[in-house]
Order: sequence, then structure tokens, then C-alpha cells
Amino acid sequence: MKIYDWLNQRVDLDSITKFAKKKQVPVFYGTVWYYLGGVSLFLFIIQVFTGILLILYYQPGSTTAFESVKFIVSQVNFGWLVREIHSWSANLFILFIFLHMFTVYFAKAYRKPREVTWYTGFILLLVAMFFGFSGYLLPWNELAFFATKVGSDIAGAIPFVGDFLLKLLRSGDDVTGATLTRFYGIHVAVLPAVFTIILGIHLILVQVQGMSVPPSQESLPPEKRKYMPFFPNFALRDLLVWLIVLNVIALLAVFFPWEIGQKADPLLPAPAGIRPEWYFMFMFQTLKLIPAHIWFIEGELFGIMMFTLGGLIWFFVPFFDKKAGLGIKSPFWKWVGVIIILYIIGMTIWGYAV
Amino acid sequence: MKNPDRKKFLDIMLGVGTTAWLASMLYPISRFLIPPNIPEANVTSLEIGQVTEFPYNSSKIIRFGRKPVIVIRTKNGDFKALSATCTHLDCTVQLKKETEQIWCACHNGIYNLEGNNISGPPPKPLTPFNVRIANDKVIISNEDMS
Amino acid sequence: MKRLILLLCITGTPVTWNFAAPTDDINGCISCHQKNDEDRDDDEKIMTHFYEDVHYLKGLTCSDCHGGNPEEFDDEDVAMWDVENFVGAVEKKEQPEFCGKCHSNPEFMRLYSAHLKTDQVSQYWTSHHGEKLKEGDTQVAACTDCHGVHGIYPVKDPRSKVYPTNVPTTCKHCHSNEEVMANSGLPTDQFDKYTVSVHGQALLERYDIAAPACNGCHGNHGAMPPTIFSISDICGTCHANNAELFKGSHLKRVFIEQKINQCEGCHNYHDIAKPTDESLNWAVNKTCIYCHEEDEEKAKILATALFNIIDSLKQKIEIANEMVDLAENKGMEVEDLFFHLEDAHKNLIQTRTSIHSFDDKYVRKTSEDGYKAAEAAIIGAEQALHEFGFRKKGLLVFSLILTFFGIVLYLKIKSME
Repeated sequence: MKIYDWLNQRVDLDSITKFAKKKQVPVFYGTVWYYLGGVSLFLFIIQVFTGILLILYYQPGSTTAFESVKFIVSQVNFGWLVREIHSWSANLFILFIFLHMFTVYFAKAYRKPREVTWYTGFILLLVAMFFGFSGYLLPWNELAFFATKVGSDIAGAIPFVGDFLLKLLRSGDDVTGATLTRFYGIHVAVLPAVFTIILGIHLILVQVQGMSVPPSQESLPPEKRKYMPFFPNFALRDLLVWLIVLNVIALLAVFFPWEIGQKADPLLPAPAGIRPEWYFMFMFQTLKLIPAHIWFIEGELFGIMMFTLGGLIWFFVPFFDKKAGLGIKSPFWKWVGVIIILYIIGMTIWGYAV
Repeated sequence: MKNPDRKKFLDIMLGVGTTAWLASMLYPISRFLIPPNIPEANVTSLEIGQVTEFPYNSSKIIRFGRKPVIVIRTKNGDFKALSATCTHLDCTVQLKKETEQIWCACHNGIYNLEGNNISGPPPKPLTPFNVRIANDKVIISNEDMS
Repeated sequence: MKRLILLLCITGTPVTWNFAAPTDDINGCISCHQKNDEDRDDDEKIMTHFYEDVHYLKGLTCSDCHGGNPEEFDDEDVAMWDVENFVGAVEKKEQPEFCGKCHSNPEFMRLYSAHLKTDQVSQYWTSHHGEKLKEGDTQVAACTDCHGVHGIYPVKDPRSKVYPTNVPTTCKHCHSNEEVMANSGLPTDQFDKYTVSVHGQALLERYDIAAPACNGCHGNHGAMPPTIFSISDICGTCHANNAELFKGSHLKRVFIEQKINQCEGCHNYHDIAKPTDESLNWAVNKTCIYCHEEDEEKAKILATALFNIIDSLKQKIEIANEMVDLAENKGMEVEDLFFHLEDAHKNLIQTRTSIHSFDDKYVRKTSEDGYKAAEAAIIGAEQALHEFGFRKKGLLVFSLILTFFGIVLYLKIKSME
């Protein structure tokens, strides 16, 4: 290719191409799970594109945000499409990151030497959830306003730093137009930058270290292990899966559009049934169930502490599950994972059933 | 791959598919980028016309968001804007020029020009709106400034 | 034991509060009559609500109305009988003048309440109750039958027997009692009819005190049934538009000449129901035939014309409602269309009111705006549905392209391996 040659004469593209050609994907019963990370990446790319398009028309501010979203959906050509894709893809994005994380967990891909990939991955999940939390407020409708109020109230319950954190998050004591402006800045500038950098590290590590396989596969003799080249075989498969995902999103955008809702009015009392988005529901439901006081600790604080502890343990699982790194079976951590999944699913369903 | 013709056909189809896919994505994106006729959303203030379009001692009912608002130009030339929905049973009110009061035809409710309910069934005053004049244009906005 | 007594004293105090006057306020009248009350039936006790009575609260006491010597605690004669101008219990036919002693005296009333009127007694003598009382009928209502006695609340106080929501029950007391009304020649179904009427439901169920109770149409102290000249003016106090239109119509003159009560002719009086469009529907209700027996055809033509205008507007609005709902269910943005629907609905109310002109051209003109609004909503909904159809088609095309691309991709993958 002419362009390739021209560039190659100036920048060493050949070594990159050679390196890329070497990338192999293990072929075994678990290969199908390898798609999840790629789909998450695809969804992130969709979010960036549709997000940029939305920025061209969205106006942050308590007197303009709601109206501008309404404007996008009803007046702008294909505005509805961009907005629906952005809303649906946001939810699918977080869902797929969860799925990706759990499949990686059960395959014990976090074991040595891939601990940092796990660490960056978990951070990416948290950033994605913060993306969701900040983005949810931007349409400035009733539900979003109160969900943000309730959600940020929880941040205030953290001892010592709680009040400071709350003020920092809300840009003031209450959720106001200033909060909206701050969330907007966080959502379109801060988080994309942070996410991209950490994602970069995460992806480079995957390329440099190669694809991980579960310990059972690793212990097989070399002749029993099958591979396929990433370029073009798995890449084309990836593309196929991405097309299917894209089609599903398009379907959802047309047949299950998201409501614009009522404009937020800080003076009105909270409507009944305020709840956070589904990916926070399990934590929300847990907090609801905790009694007002446990010993001398306030219930909400206790809940936050438990979740922080849980999060830290999950984050440091490569450190705790040393056995995995040595190739020894550790069913304990497998069951921890199973229980956590069941807990999350159960609490989420319960949260909606009430 | 055994059959070179079939391979070539497949490659061509692949190219066609890729092009069609990219085109189907670029079409809505490019349409999106072209702004619609009304380039901006209506906010919480609305321009309703030139000062000259409002004769003294007259009124107009205009739409503000989803609500009807009665805009009155008094005998002295002042502007007043009030919610036009009667607080009794939601009928639309009108200006009574002779008495300089606002009247609801449904059950004879009467408000003064400040919107205060002074006679008849209405239990509450009419919500006021801000009016300001800029460059000979009349602009109405909500009282709330959150 | 001491604690028990203390407890009893503390809990007993609020219970006896109502009956124990502040010590410096007990006078001779109250001290005896409180004792007398113990031997009386509940409905004849004097002191039960005495301390809430508006007169007492304004600083008046027994002797200010009844005369007598309130400083005498023991001797009946010194307290009452021997005192000049002692009135004692007041007979029914003396009541108006008795209350009027103060209430008809502007200079006196000004000392207590500058805004209270002082024409109640003179009004009363013009009423049916007043006329009958003059003739000697003591069964009719006088002051205390409506306002109560020894526990009179101001009219604006919801405990008052003549507070708007209590008025129907107060009048009902006599007017629904067959025995009391036996020789009057009057019916006793007014209360029952009123409670199902549109005003009764507004007042008694929704507490809308703008709705008229009995006194709203009959007057207060000068209560009389409205007569022919006044009926549409009385209804017109609130229903101004309808009265105005009717006055300008060709029917007003006819009704007066024929001595037919105006609004009541079609709407009844105590059991005024929410009017329905069906009363103009000749196929179901030949309402106008009541008068138009001879020239049925003329009435039928007008009634049918009016009915058709209203009915077709109503149907158009129904269609508009359905279409907007449909568009909304499909997830389309229809906020703006609700404004048109509201406009159309308001116009329907105006059109219905306009039939009181009995002029089909005027009614048709009134309904035009409603049609336009409903039409605007329908067009908007159609556009929304059309747009949804466009989206579905777009989705189909996109899916086909993706499917095609996907299949080709799949084949390519297969061909490579």
C-alpha cells in the first residue's frame, strides 16, 4: 500500500505490524468470553462519538439543560437517534464491563503477571460508573435530580471527609445548577481523560502480555493448546460481534426510547419511588435494609464501610489469591465470586420488586 | 481457499458491505450536524413581539411552554403578564377593558391587574410572570431563578 | 395517695376547663344556670358552648341581652324578676326584635364590628319566614333556629350552623321534616335533591365554598324562592355568560310572557344536574317539546343543529386525544400537542355555553377555534406517527445492511479457515 510505505519510510510501522501479526488468541471452550472486553471498548467508542455529537447541541445550566435535551430529541435531525444510542449504550457499557470483569475473575486472569491489568480494569469500572452517575444528571429532569440528591447524600455520610466531599461533588451544599455545571465538566472532560489514560495502560498491558487462559488450560501440554491469529481471524469475528451489538442498540433506540421526563424543580418535594440507576441498585437496596444503627455506628455509615471493604478486597484479589498465581486450585475465591454475583443480582431484583 | 473467483467475489461483497455500513452511519451523523431551522431551544424566557404590537388597554394570550399566559398592556402603557388559567376550575381568563380587571367567564371570577382574586369563586391569585422590554421587544420569563 | 390526687388534679383540669369559667368571670346568672343545666337534657343546656359564643368573646354577658342583675348570686327576685327591663326567655315571635335591639342598631354594632350589616331584621320581615311569623306561625325559622343560641359562632367559623357547608343541613332540619312542613304546601325533597346536584356535590363533597348553598339562591335573611324576573339573574351571578347569552336570545321574552321560570325550565332547580349534551339529542331527549308541542319540527331542527355542532367537535377532540396518546406511547415527543388539546377542550366548554344563545350560527362560529385546535393536535400526532414510521423503516434498512455485512463477514471468516 502506497500510504503505508510512505509512512513506513518516516516512522517504523513495520515493527508494529510485525508485533500485531504475532498476537494470538487461545482457542478453547472459553474463547467466546474474550469478546466481552472488545464489546466494552466498542461501546466506549460509541459513547465518545455520540457524546461529542450531543455536546454540539446540549446546553448545561439549570434553565437550559432540560430544554436543550428536548430540543435535540424533537428538533435536531436524528437528534433522537444520537440521544437514544448514547443512553442505551451507556447502560450496556456498564453491563458489559461487569460481565467482562466477572469472566476475567472466574478465569483467574488477575493472577501473576497480570495483576496491574486487573487493578486498572477495576478502576475503569469505577470510572465508568461515575460516568453513568454524572451523565444521568445532565438532562436535568425530576428523576435525575432526586437520584443525584440521594446518591450524593451517601457521600456525605463518610466520616471526617464526608461534608467536604459532598461540597466538592455538589459544588455547594445542595444539588443546584452549579452541580450540573460541575458534573458536566466531570463527564465530558475529566472522566474521558482519566478513562483514556487508564484504558491505554490496560490495553497496552494486554497486548504486551498476551491473552490469559484459565489455569486448567495453562497446565496443558503445548501440543494440546490451539490458537488463532488475532489479525485477521479474531478481529473479523470481533467486528461481527460488534455489528450485532450495534444492531441491538439501534433496535432499542427505535422501540424503547428513554423518557425525557419532567423538568427538575428543586422546590418540589421528592416524588415517590426515587431510585438510582440499576448499576447502583444493589448498593441502594442494601443501605435500605441496614437498620438505623449497628452498635454505635450509624447504619448508612456501616453500609458504606462494608462496601468500601468489599471493594478493597475485590480490588486486591490478585494479592489475596496467591494460590492462583502458583497454579494451585483455590475454590474459595471462586465461591466468593459466585456469592458476590448472586448478591448483586438478588439485591438488584429486590430493589425493583419493592 | 480453493476458488479464486469466489474469493474475489467475497472480497468485493465485503467491500460493498463495509461501504454500505459506513454510509448508513455517516448519513444520520451528517444530517445531525446540520442545524435545524430553529437553532436554539426555547428557554425560560420568550420573546412575544414588538412593543408596538400591544395597544394600550388590550391583552393577548400567548403560550409559554405548556401554559397560557395573559399579557396585558394597561391604560398607562405598563405591561403585566399573568397565568391565564383561573385558579377556580381552570378556565382561561380574559381582560375586561371597562373595569380594568381580569374576568373568568365560567363562574364570574374577578382578579385585579396584579392577579389578586378579588371577587367570585377563585381561591388563589394568578401566578405572575416577569416582563421586560429590550430593544422594543417584549420578553416574558418565569419568576423562578433557580 | 398524694401522687394519685395530684394526678387527678392535673388530668381533671383540662376536662373541666370548658365548664369552669375563669374565676373572675363567673357571675350570678352563670353560677345558677350552670347548676340548672345539670337537670336539663343535652339539647336544652345553656352553658354547653357559652364560652365559645361570639357575643361572650366580645365581652358581652347574659344581662346585656336578657337584662337582670348579674351581681346577685342568691335571690332569684333580686337577680331577675324584680329588675326593670328583665326579659328572660324570649318567645319565638319576639326573637327578631330581641336580636334586632343590637343588630339593627348601626351605632351600637360599629363598636364591635365595623363591617357587619344591620338590615337583617328588616330583611327578615320581607321573607316567607318573617311573613308567617307575623301571622302567628311559630314553627317557622327565626334567628336562633339558624344561628343557634348561647353558642353562636361567626358565619366564617366552620363550626357555625350557617357556615356555607353547614347551611344545607341547617335548612334541612325543618324543610325535610314532613311534620313541620305539613301545612305549608311545600315539598320536603329539596335537601335530597340538592345533595345529588352539581352544586351540592361541589359544596358538600369537594368543599368548594364558591358553590351556592340554599342561601346562595334564596337569600339569607330575606329568604324567598326566586321569581321569574330574577331566576336567570340569580343563576347569572356566577354563570354570567349563560345569563348574558340567554338574555340576548329569542327565548327570554317568550319565557317571561309564558311565565316559565327561565334557567329552571331546562335545568331544574334543587336537583340541578351537570348538563349533558344528550339533552339536545332529539333522538333520545325531546327536551324542547315541553313547550314546542305544536311546532315540534322547528324545535327539532334547532336542537339537532346544536347537538351536531357539539357532538362533532367532541368526536374530533376524542380522535385527537387518541392519536396523541398513540404517538406518546410510541415514545414520540408530544408535549406541544397537549397544549392544543387543552385549547380544544376549553373551546368545547365555551361551545356548550354558547348554546344558550339558541342561535346555531353563533354556536358554530364559537366552535371553530376548537376545531382548529383539535385539528392542529391531530396533524401534530400524525406527523409524530409518520416520523415513527420513518424511524422503523430506517431501522429496517440499517438492520438489512448490517445483516448483509454480517453474513459476508461470516463467510469471509469461514473462507479463511
